[in-house]
Amino acid sequence: MNKPLLAIGISLALSVPLAAQGGPKEDFQEVYAKAQSTHQDAGNFQWTITSDRLKAAKSAADSGDHEKAMAMAKEALKLAEESVAQRKKQKEAWRQVAIGN
Amino acid sequence: MLKAKVILVALGAALAVPQALAGASPEEDRKESVEYFKQMFPDVPFEEFVNGQYALNEDRRKQWESMQDFPPYEFAVAEGQELFETPFANGKTYASCFENGGIGIRQNYPYFDTEKNEVITLELAINRCREANGEEPLKWKKGAIASISAYMASTSQGKPINIKVPDDPEALAAYQDGKKFYYSRRGQLNFSCASCHVQNPGKWIRADFLSPALGQPANFPVHRAKWGELGTLHRRFAGCNNNVRAEPLPAQSEEYRNLEYFLTYMSNGLPVVGPATRP
Repeated sequence: MNKPLLAIGISLALSVPLAAQGGPKEDFQEVYAKAQSTHQDAGNFQWTITSDRLKAAKSAADSGDHEKAMAMAKEALKLAEESVAQRKKQKEAWRQVAIGN
Repeated sequence: MLKAKVILVALGAALAVPQALAGASPEEDRKESVEYFKQMFPDVPFEEFVNGQYALNEDRRKQWESMQDFPPYEFAVAEGQELFETPFANGKTYASCFENGGIGIRQNYPYFDTEKNEVITLELAINRCREANGEEPLKWKKGAIASISAYMASTSQGKPINIKVPDDPEALAAYQDGKKFYYSRRGQLNFSCASCHVQNPGKWIRADFLSPALGQPANFPVHRAKWGELGTLHRRFAGCNNNVRAEPLPAQSEEYRNLEYFLTYMSNGLPVVGPATRP
C-alpha cells in the first residue's frame, strides 16, 4: 500500500468536517440573530431579561469574548422561546381567569 | 347521507352559538367585578375602593391620613394650574381644547373617539392640544404633563367616573383589548395585572401591599414616595410590567391606552380623588 497516499487521504478526510464548520464568530452570529428574531416574535410579551442577555452577548462579542458571547446568546434564545410560548398560551388562557367571561 | 349532513350542520351550529354569545358586555363585566370585590372585602364601603391599600390596611391608612395635612403633590397642582392658564405663543390656552374649558371633566377620560377610532386619554388630549396650537408635546410620564393632569383632576374631585363604551365595534374591540391585556400573564415572572390586583389584593408581595383593581385609576396622577414626585398612570403601568420582567410598552401606546380604557370603565360610579399619594 502506498503509505504517503494513505496519509494524505486520511488528512483530507479529517479536515472536511473542520472546513464545513464556521468559526466561533459565525456560530455566534447565527445564534444571536435567531435569538433576536425570536425576541421580536414575542411582540408585546417580550421579557426584560431577554433584552439584557442580548445586550450582554453583543457586548461580549464586541470585546472578543466569544465564549461568553455564545453563552449569553444561547440563554437569550431560550428565554425568547419561552416568551413566545407565553404569548401563544395567553392568546386564550386569559379568558379562563377574567371576570365576565 | 343527507340526514347525516343535516345532523353535522346542526351540531356545528349548536357548538358555535355559545361561542358567539360568550364574552360579556362591558357593563356586565363591571357589575360582576364590583360584586367580586364587595364579596372579597364585605366591610369596605364601595366609595372607599378609590383609596386602594388605605381602604384595606389600618397602619397604611394612618400613615396616609397624617400626610393629608400637607400633601406632597400640592406644589405640583399649583404648578399645573399656572401652566394650564398660561397662554401658548398663539395666545390661546389649554381651555380652548376642552369641553367646559377643561374644568371638571377628568371623570370623562379616557373616551373612545369614534371618528379617529382610538382611545383618547387626558394626557394624550393635553399633548394634542399643545401640538394643535403650535407647541412641542410634553414628555408623557412625569413633570409638566403630570402637573397639568393633576390640576385638571383636582377640578373634578368627587365627580363620579363616567366612562362610556359606545355601541361601536371599534370601541368594543379597544375595551376588549384592554381587558385581554389586564388578564394576560406576561414577563419572566408570569404575572398578569389581575394576578396581583384581582386575585390577591389585600396581601403583601415583598414590601408592597396589593391594592384592588376597583378604583385604581381614580387617584391618578399620583405622588409616590418611591418616585419622590408625581407620575402618570402609564408610568405606573410601565413600572408594573417591569416588576414582572415584562418589557414595558411606551406611555400612550395603543395597548396602554386600551388598558386604561378598560380599567377606568371598571371604576365607573366611583369618585375622582386624584391627585393622591401612594408609597
